[in-house]
Amino acid sequence: MGIAEKIKDGLKTNIQNNLNKKNIKKILNIISSEPLLSAYGATFASKSDKFLNIYSIKSLQKAYSSRYPVAYGSLFLPFELFHALGLAPFLPEVIGGFTGGLGLADRTLKEASSRWYTPDLCTFHRSASGAVEMDLFPEPDFIICTNIACDAAQKTFYIDAGKFGIKDRFYLIDVPYKKNEGSIKLLAKQLENISADIAAKMNKKIDMEKFASVIDYSNKFRDWALKANGVRKKLLFYPKYFNGLNFILPFHGLAGTKEAADLYRNVYLELNEFLKVQESIFTNTGNYKPEKMFKGRKIPCVDNLKKSRKILWMHLKPYYKNSIFTMLEENNYKIVFEEISNVYWPRLDPEKPFESLAVKMLSNPLNGSIENRVNAILKMALDYGIDGAVLFAHWGCRHSNGGARILKDSLKNIGIPLLILDGDCLNKNNSSEGQISTRLQGFIEIVDSRIQD
Amino acid sequence: MITCGIDVGSVSSEAVVLDRSDEKFNISAYVIAPTGGDSQEAARNVFEEALARSGFSRQDIGSIVATGYGRLNIPFATKNITEISCHARGVINFFPDTKTVIDIGGQDSKVIKLDSKGSPADFLMNDKCAAGTGRFLEVMAKALDIKLTDFAFIFNSTREKVDISSTCTVFAESEIVSLIGHGIEKNRIVKGLVYSITDRIVSMVERIGLEEPVCMTGGVAKNAAVLKALEERLKLKISVPAEPQITGALGAALLG
Repeated sequence: MGIAEKIKDGLKTNIQNNLNKKNIKKILNIISSEPLLSAYGATFASKSDKFLNIYSIKSLQKAYSSRYPVAYGSLFLPFELFHALGLAPFLPEVIGGFTGGLGLADRTLKEASSRWYTPDLCTFHRSASGAVEMDLFPEPDFIICTNIACDAAQKTFYIDAGKFGIKDRFYLIDVPYKKNEGSIKLLAKQLENISADIAAKMNKKIDMEKFASVIDYSNKFRDWALKANGVRKKLLFYPKYFNGLNFILPFHGLAGTKEAADLYRNVYLELNEFLKVQESIFTNTGNYKPEKMFKGRKIPCVDNLKKSRKILWMHLKPYYKNSIFTMLEENNYKIVFEEISNVYWPRLDPEKPFESLAVKMLSNPLNGSIENRVNAILKMALDYGIDGAVLFAHWGCRHSNGGARILKDSLKNIGIPLLILDGDCLNKNNSSEGQISTRLQGFIEIVDSRIQD
Repeated sequence: MITCGIDVGSVSSEAVVLDRSDEKFNISAYVIAPTGGDSQEAARNVFEEALARSGFSRQDIGSIVATGYGRLNIPFATKNITEISCHARGVINFFPDTKTVIDIGGQDSKVIKLDSKGSPADFLMNDKCAAGTGRFLEVMAKALDIKLTDFAFIFNSTREKVDISSTCTVFAESEIVSLIGHGIEKNRIVKGLVYSITDRIVSMVERIGLEEPVCMTGGVAKNAAVLKALEERLKLKISVPAEPQITGALGAALLG
């Protein structure tokens, strides 16, 4: 176990043994203080991992610090809006995911269950609701959610608003089904009105310069993400511990910040370094030789690279200890792209922030017809030349699982097998390790046999 | 070459020793035994017993392939392959044209679709509950105090069935107790149970896309009532190997 993992384990045990908001805040204050944060960052073998961890801690510390107005936000919102308004975003669903990794989900889910949250509700939301009931989350000044894809946020966040006595500061952004001129105008107006209302409640005016700066950072992030995604079209040799499924915050909660742009700049630079090593192995040039180490990773031989199988991953992953990714690695299967890493929106216009953010929301393939998602997945499949795809069918996630059949059929039409892996991203008791391992290994055997044929 | 396949299931474990010295291979010996609480020990026991019966020594065995849910926990196996690939390979040995395999084991059921070369092209597994598996039938037989071997006779001699509404094994058991309490004839309950398990499997077959010929493997393939009900529901004839319970272990030995 590396130093970073040991520190993480120590923090995890501390939080588990002393689970209350005061202790979470105390730990965040300690770990985010300098020089400790830099020392912690230095323990990571991968730059991408390092910045992801540092910025996640900073973002959480800000929300827990009581020094900024806090706004809860559902995952598919344009968080540029939060940063432009000076709100510290707090994403209950994402932090609900952290409860899985921290080994707290059993407790938060049990709490939710005893408060009448139905067991067939998605565990991200149930765990977050349990955490709210246990008073583990920072108190929000505002709660904002959207009806894009996920239905649960609208309901559970409203319950949260009632609990915190801020129903007058609860906003639901109603995103139209189709993207057209009318729907863009309608949505842009909503975003503008909500922003004006929030600003007024904070006795402020909307700062358009701040909006322009946030949009500028959002565009920078987009540029780096596109470049990183471009590298991944060829990349088979990945940094140690790199998992694209971890990068939720820069795409969402940190959208529109310098941190997200910096983070993805580092992701790009690191992946590009690995690509250069890979290319030198293929061309047998440079100083890099197979079997030697590069940044904590053994350099593969050409044969190994050529035999790599490429996988597209849909939806999310289990956040507790599991064997999925080890099994993929051991069988030389690379997740070359994830649905969540897709840059689906056009460049934003700093002069028209609300309209741009409306376009961004309406461009989300999870909004509107299932055909939008199917077309986006088919494009990813072709762009990344995948050998197979995996859809992790998270318990209770209607928006994702509802489309499983059509996704399977559509990929089959272009000759790509899809494994629908039933499980639960948070609740390990609701996932059968044996069944998941048999299904995944069976899928690997099928893909291997197709390629050999 | 001599190979061995070991299939460690949740209820039973099987080992097959295969003599592949000639072009035509020969099953030298096979063993079927309950798995019990220690899957590793069960694997060792069936392997040693099969070896003893075959007359070969440990040194004669070229490869040992483990399959089944306990496949990752057999230290003396040379490799492990899922029961999906092993059942497919085992079936193709007996019925080369098979396109769909229905495997109902102790605690899981699978439907495997085969391509034109007999390799798995797709598969479906039951959810993580025991409904639709051999364990379901065992629990119900116990609740009814009827031998599983009597199911076929009862099924064939009974006209009407009782609908079993619960798909969960635990709830179905209490439903049966309640039906008995209401004086419902046990034979009708047996018929209802057989259709209950069959309907779950038919739904999986339809989901993956039925393609003939169909073959059934696993311990439940020995239950003539389930086999008949499946044939009736799918409106086709299903092939069953002479000893369906060793299909996975045989496939493993063939892939070794």
